[in-house]
Amino acid sequence: MPIHFSNLHKRFGDKHVLRGVDIEVRDGECFFVIGASGVGKSVLIKHLVGLLRPDSGDIYLDGSEVSRLSEKAFYPVRMRCAMVFQHSTLFDSMSCAENVALPLRMHKQLSLEKAMIEAERRLDQVHMLEFAKAFPAELGDGMRKRVAIARALTLDPRYVLFDEPTTSLDPISARRVDKLIFELSRELGVTSIVVSHDLTSIFSIADRIAMLYQGHVRMLGTQDDFRSTVDPIVRQFITGQAEGPMEV
Amino acid sequence: MSTHTNIELQARPLGLGARMVAPFGALGRDLASLYDVLKQCVHHLMRGHLDRKATVEQAYAIGNGSMLFVTVTMTVIGMITVVQSGVQTQRVIPELSLLGANIIQIMVREFAPTVCAMMLATRVGAGIAAEIGSMVVTEQVDALRMCAADPVEYLVVPRFVSSIVMTTALAFWSLFASLVAGTLAANMVFDLNYSTFVNFNLVTVGDFIVCLLKAMFYGAAIPVVSAQRGLTTFGGSEGVGWATTNAVVHSSLAVIVLDLFLSVFGYLVFPPV
Repeated sequence: MPIHFSNLHKRFGDKHVLRGVDIEVRDGECFFVIGASGVGKSVLIKHLVGLLRPDSGDIYLDGSEVSRLSEKAFYPVRMRCAMVFQHSTLFDSMSCAENVALPLRMHKQLSLEKAMIEAERRLDQVHMLEFAKAFPAELGDGMRKRVAIARALTLDPRYVLFDEPTTSLDPISARRVDKLIFELSRELGVTSIVVSHDLTSIFSIADRIAMLYQGHVRMLGTQDDFRSTVDPIVRQFITGQAEGPMEV
Repeated sequence: MSTHTNIELQARPLGLGARMVAPFGALGRDLASLYDVLKQCVHHLMRGHLDRKATVEQAYAIGNGSMLFVTVTMTVIGMITVVQSGVQTQRVIPELSLLGANIIQIMVREFAPTVCAMMLATRVGAGIAAEIGSMVVTEQVDALRMCAADPVEYLVVPRFVSSIVMTTALAFWSLFASLVAGTLAANMVFDLNYSTFVNFNLVTVGDFIVCLLKAMFYGAAIPVVSAQRGLTTFGGSEGVGWATTNAVVHSSLAVIVLDLFLSVFGYLVFPPV
């Protein structure tokens, strides 16, 4: 398995967020991590790229344990494994093209000129070339998200982590982002881990789904497994019922 | 001291010195991460990692942006100090010919660098903590790290360098502003001649070295303390508010503590005439 979280534990003060999470992600799949807000979905994926360190447990990427690497040693990991943040997190002082060029300049030490040419090519892939010189503040949420995806793809990563990619997007923009994630997986063979509670996304593009609940993996399976489950907690979540056994 | 979890610094393994003080509770952790930020600033500077454009922009924001604030404050302090000192001196002796010499010495050694730095700690410290804190809670710092950009190199080092330069410049500007205001006050209130008041006989090169050292140390402390507060921000906009408040309090405290040590050092190495 290219990605393996093994018995992962993480505390923030008194809050024990992850309590022994075990997940394996297969090559080229579109893997969704779902669960209620605050359950630790984003925390989980941030461990993979060293933005957070586990209290205990191991994380394997392509067979190598990565959780104890130094910050500098994580740079090659972050070249292979890109991340699209929940709020796009484009740098306001830079144009869209400069935002997309930044990883090329920092990771690959490309000149500004070469990095900008590549950035424009990436922006074209997400249909944002005409906004290359625009600043993030001039764009809507959906367009900012597409620029953020272009920035994540600029280093040709094998793995892309999406943190709630459709949150705050209108339905049309959300489905465009879903399509982009699906195409990445099917056409380029990119492995995607998507943190989401957007049920439409989950039941349209997910290959497999893991549901986190109270720090553990409550259920792991395909879309069909989730649709046919009798677990009352999982059922409450995927049907969006306000009343039920689930503690939030 | 804050007990907030420091996502950014938590992810970076602390150095040997930082690990040695880390066990001493929250204060130890704060000092350890302060030391870590300072060490990284020096490390990047020694390797020539300095974004010159960002440094010039920060110098403008810190220096030019604080000019009016510092000038007004130091002008008022200069005038009040002269009038208060003159009134109290007259209770003992009616002779004010050495008033200017004494006040200029205390201005050079103490008031100009320290009061100026206290002013900068509020304005600049709050700005640095709020800006970096906002970047932390909106995950921009994480995005920088994903782009292989070291947040300390990218965000703190330009502020560190520009703060040292501009705090020093503003300290000497403060000295000038308070001196001009004090001279005018002495002339208006006590009818002292300008040439009698502006008397540098008690001021030595050592006094100016103490002034310079204080300004440089304060200039280094303010961005390091404030940036560390910003980088330890946790918990959304409320966290940014706390980080900003803490940055002002701790930067001011750092200036006061440094003042004590540097004053003792100054009195031992460059005793006042």
